Amino acid sequence: MDWEVVFSATSALAMVSWLALIFLPRWRWVLIALRYVVIAGLGVLYATLVFVYFFRVEGGGFSSLAALSLLFTSSPALLAGWIHYLAFDLFLGTWIAERADTRGLSRIVQAPILVATFMFGPLGYLLYAATELRTAGRASADGASHHG
Amino acid sequence: MVRSNVLSAFLPRRARPIEAGATLFAAALLVAALILPTAGAWMLDDRTINGASMWDKPLKFEMSIVIHLVTMGLIVAAMKPSTRESRATRVVAAISAISGIGEVLYITLQAARGRASHFNSETPIEIAMYSAMGVGAVALVVCAFIFGIMVARSPQEGLGQGAKIGIVLGLTLGASLTLIIAGLMSSGVVDGFGHWIGGVRSDAKALPLFGWSITGGDLRVPHFFATHLMQALPLLGLAGDRLAPRAAKSLVYVGAVVGLAIVAATFTQALLGRPLLAL
Repeated sequence: MDWEVVFSATSALAMVSWLALIFLPRWRWVLIALRYVVIAGLGVLYATLVFVYFFRVEGGGFSSLAALSLLFTSSPALLAGWIHYLAFDLFLGTWIAERADTRGLSRIVQAPILVATFMFGPLGYLLYAATELRTAGRASADGASHHG
Repeated sequence: MVRSNVLSAFLPRRARPIEAGATLFAAALLVAALILPTAGAWMLDDRTINGASMWDKPLKFEMSIVIHLVTMGLIVAAMKPSTRESRATRVVAAISAISGIGEVLYITLQAARGRASHFNSETPIEIAMYSAMGVGAVALVVCAFIFGIMVARSPQEGLGQGAKIGIVLGLTLGASLTLIIAGLMSSGVVDGFGHWIGGVRSDAKALPLFGWSITGGDLRVPHFFATHLMQALPLLGLAGDRLAPRAAKSLVYVGAVVGLAIVAATFTQALLGRPLLAL
């Protein structure tokens, strides 16, 4: 099995998906296709790799950094780890986009957050979570004024 | 909604209790989701156990458990509403769902680890897990038996006679016979631990798709026919109600006798150490 081919194919798929999420209008089917076709498909591929290769690496696992390094000396295990990133980052991207739309966050502000999520997952989440402080603050201020 | 006790805090947040059928169908879908990567692994993995792909078994169990959970879910609809919505039905459905999911997850995990799941007495944990799987399997068939009795006692209004008798006989007979045959398999009384009796103890040369021995007796054959009475008789009853409503009941009785005869014949054949088909 040529893992480089699988790596390139999944990375290209992720790239196209992120471009769609950042630039396309928020048609309902975009989120549905990303979640139930692309991310679910990555899930099938990920699970297949884990089923076949995860337990084959002698001494590899999640118990220590050394065990983790050893696990990732196996190309298919490393590829599974990469697909895990791609799938989870993209899912987080769809979650941020959906929530940001509901909260009325401008697409101009969403774009850099989504790019950050694409490149460095948790950093993008941090940026998005910070933007919620504003609306959360306003919501509690509104609540207070109603009571007052 | 007021949460009256601590246990209710573990339930999903929604106003009404989850219907038994919904639990069973959700569990069936969860198990069905494993079929795709398992099929992928079956194509990719070169590891074998007993001479066959490591993934033959998870694939077969995933498909069987999906069929079983869907059957159980459909049978909920054959109960009258008060029974369908009773706590007992929800508990039986939940136990079926948990047992089915548990069996499949452990069988899949063991395949990924390149280890046997059933008949594995190599490490303390695997011995304990094999026993736990036994408990889960017994729970699955006992739950099916209970659903059969529930349909017998309180069928849905307008349920055809054929479907009713088919469900009741299919579930009670199928569950009882499965319990006897699988119990014998795990007891190791006949020709040692496992399902092979005589012949070559390997899956390398076996009946395609089913994996049954072609050189000796194999208790998986009567197990298969006994367990699938749970689908065969209800379907026969449904077909009877559609095509020949007046003969539907008799049709199911005849089907039950034929089914019993097949189970008895394949069971005897296996005990005698003979294969179903010697290819």
